[in-house]
This record gives sequence, C-alpha cells and structure tokens, in this order.
Amino acid sequence: MTNGVVLAFIGAAIAALLAGIGSAKGVGTVGEAAAGVISVDPSKFSKVLVLELLPGTQGLYGFLTFILLMGRIGVFSGNIAQLTTAQGWSFLVACLPIAIVGLISGIIQGKTAAASVGITAKKPEHNTKGIIMSAMVETYAILALLVSILMMINIAI
Amino acid sequence: MSSTKYASAVAAIKAMENTLLTKADMEQLINAGGNAEADSLIAAKRSGSGELTAEGVWTMLREYAPDCDEMKILLYPNDFHNLKAALKAMIADRAPEDYYIRPTNIDTEQLSVLLGKKDYEHLPAYIRNTAEEAYELLTRTLDGQLADSLIDCAALSAMQKDAEAFGGKFIQAYAELITASADIKTAYRAMLMKKSKNFMEGAVCGSTHLDKTDLINAALGGSESFFSYLDMTPYDEAGKCLARSAAAFEKWADDAVMELAEPARMQAFGCEPLEAYYISVCAELKNLRILRVCREFGADRETITERMRKLYG
Repeated sequence: MTNGVVLAFIGAAIAALLAGIGSAKGVGTVGEAAAGVISVDPSKFSKVLVLELLPGTQGLYGFLTFILLMGRIGVFSGNIAQLTTAQGWSFLVACLPIAIVGLISGIIQGKTAAASVGITAKKPEHNTKGIIMSAMVETYAILALLVSILMMINIAI
Repeated sequence: MSSTKYASAVAAIKAMENTLLTKADMEQLINAGGNAEADSLIAAKRSGSGELTAEGVWTMLREYAPDCDEMKILLYPNDFHNLKAALKAMIADRAPEDYYIRPTNIDTEQLSVLLGKKDYEHLPAYIRNTAEEAYELLTRTLDGQLADSLIDCAALSAMQKDAEAFGGKFIQAYAELITASADIKTAYRAMLMKKSKNFMEGAVCGSTHLDKTDLINAALGGSESFFSYLDMTPYDEAGKCLARSAAAFEKWADDAVMELAEPARMQAFGCEPLEAYYISVCAELKNLRILRVCREFGADRETITERMRKLYG
C-alpha cells in the first residue's frame, strides 16, 4: 500500500468522522429539546421527530463521501489503485469541505432545530416554519458535499 | 446561542406556556358571571394539567435545571420575608408557619430551628449576616419597622450582588429593576412620613441607574424634588405612575418586570426562559388574586381591567 492510499484513507476517515460527530451532536441537542416537549405533550412526538432528523444528514454526507472515495480508489473491487503521494493528498483535501462544514453545520443545525422545537411546542400549527429555518443550514452542508464530490471525481488516477 | 444548556427544560416550558392565561383569557374571566364560572374557564384552559401554584412550578423548574444557581435569586425576596416572619414570631413567641411564604430556597422549618438556636453559620451566605444583625437589632430595640427595613434592604443588596457574581444579564437587570422599584417606593413613603435621612440611608439600597444618595436627597427635598429627580432617571415613567397613585405604581413595577422578561422567554436555551416562565406564572397568580379580591369588593369591570398586570400572551 502506497503513502498515497494511506492519505486517501485518512481523508475518507476524516470525512466520515467529523461529519458524523457534527450530526451526533446536532441530533443530540434536538433530542434533548424534543424530550422536554414530549414529557409535557407526548402527542407532539411525530412533529419533533422531523426536526430531530434534520441534523442527521451531515453524517450521511460524510458517509457518502467515504463510500465514493473508497469506490474511486477501487477498494470495493478489491483492486486498490497505487496512488502517488500527490494523489493521496488531493483525495485528503477533497474530503475536507464536507468534513469541516459537516461538523460545524451539524452542530449549528442542531441548535436551530432545537430552538424550532420551541415553535412546535407552543404553536404546533407553525411547525413547518421551524423545519424551513433549520433546513436553511443544510444548504451549506450540501454545497460542501458537492465541492468534495466535484474535487474527488476530477482527481486523475 | 453559544450554549445549548437546559434545551430540554426550555422546550418543556414552551409546551407548558400554552396553559398560561392570555390577555384574552383574562378578559373572559373579568366578564365571567361569578367565581364558579371563572374557575371553570381556568380549568378548561389548564386542560387537566392541575392547579397552577408558584411552589409547584418552582419545584418542577428545579427538577429540570437543578444546577442553575442564578434562578435561586428569584426567591431571595421570599427568603428574606421569611426571615422577618421568623424573627418577629420568635420575639412575639408565636408560631411563624402561618406567616411564611413559599417557594423558598431555605426550608422554613430549618430556618425556624436555626434562628431559634442562633445558628447563623448554617444559613446560606447571602442571608447569614443579615439574620444575625436583624436579630440583634430586634432584640435590642424591639423596633419591627427598623428590622424590616434592614432586612428588605439586605434582600435587595443580596439580589444585586449575587446576580452580578454568578447571574446572567437578565437576572442582573431583574435584580436592578426590583431594587429600583423598591427603592422608589421606600423613599416615597419615607418622604410622606417625614422620616429622617438616617432612616432612609438604612432603608434605601441603591442601584446602578438610581443612585442611593441622590434618591435620598431628592426625597428629603419634598415631593417636587423627588419627582423631578425621577424624571431625570430611566424610571421617569415610575415617577409619573407614583404621582398618580400607589396602585398605578405597583402596576408599573409588575408590568416592567414582565416587559423585561419578554426577550428572556424568546431564548431557546439557558436559564433565562425558565426564570421568565416563573415570573410569568407569578404574574398570572397575582392577576387571579386581584380579580378575586376586586370581585369580593364589588369593583366594576373598568376598575378590574385597569388593575390587571401584563401577561405572557
């Protein structure tokens, strides 16, 4: 296994780890708020569940990046490409946008969604407004994912 | 939104806010035919969530946020009131239980026992010295009013000091507002009763925007100087209300607290929404008490409406 492959593996791990941590923290924050509402009004479970799911997507984006990278370097076919160090670095850098933006946006989306749980608690009929506000944060995670994918598919092997 | 502390507690109270009375609900209660109709309207609003009491709400809030120390500052006035009750009951050899108010930070039974044994060391730091001083003063002079003013002033000082030491911006502003409104009332009453400068110095606490010395000097100068001084402070509206009537001033003080709590309740995390919720519950209970008393005295709709405090919704 070349140094390039090791670097690509590190990049994939960073993408999955950081984005996953962001999501875990975000979902945890919303879960706390949701539990508070459900302790008073269990009928609002389905409405707060939607909000709790929102910060979970960053983890999925990180995982998607990991899978894509593994596919690109031929891990699934069992024929791993012998990457140069420069190629390895390129893959690692390509993983950074979703890793970093995923971490930060996951946490922030969690806070926004937790605040939106308050809307659901007090004015359930305005639940969708809270979902929209929380989903706005998602835009930047999606952009980061696109950047990572575009960088990755354009690295010549 | 730097911290997500108390996210669960805040979300829970947001759900509970729906059972609080709104302005429209209060109007319905004012128009209700009698207490029975009013009670059924309240029961319908609470929708089986049980009777709303300050003590019950406090217990629930402490369960949700047991480590939120700054919340305790909200109960300092109750603690100091209970200190007055306990000391006076002790001097008069009467049972203090009937005079205690709840909720409190200090268990009332424990307070009686500790004061009885003169064991001030086991009282919380914010009340310890005051308890000792007030006891000495009361036993030496038997002047209840003097002891009251000492304790009241100490309560305000403790609120401000502890809010500054470990409280957030909201509780600091709250402590300042409570102190200012109490100081205005005390100085005004002292002025009407032609009390000495010495007495006022012991009774007025002072706060950032209402200087103790200036307020006392203004009160010593008579009514005109007192109200002109208030006009130059952020409490000019309080002065105008006080010039109208004591009831108008009391309403201003309560409404000012609710206005202060308004942005605090919008927060998604932290202690502030919990504190704002407790304040709003107290305001609602006060409104219901006023309504009941007004009804008993046969007050008309306009008078009752005029006396109603600001509510959450």
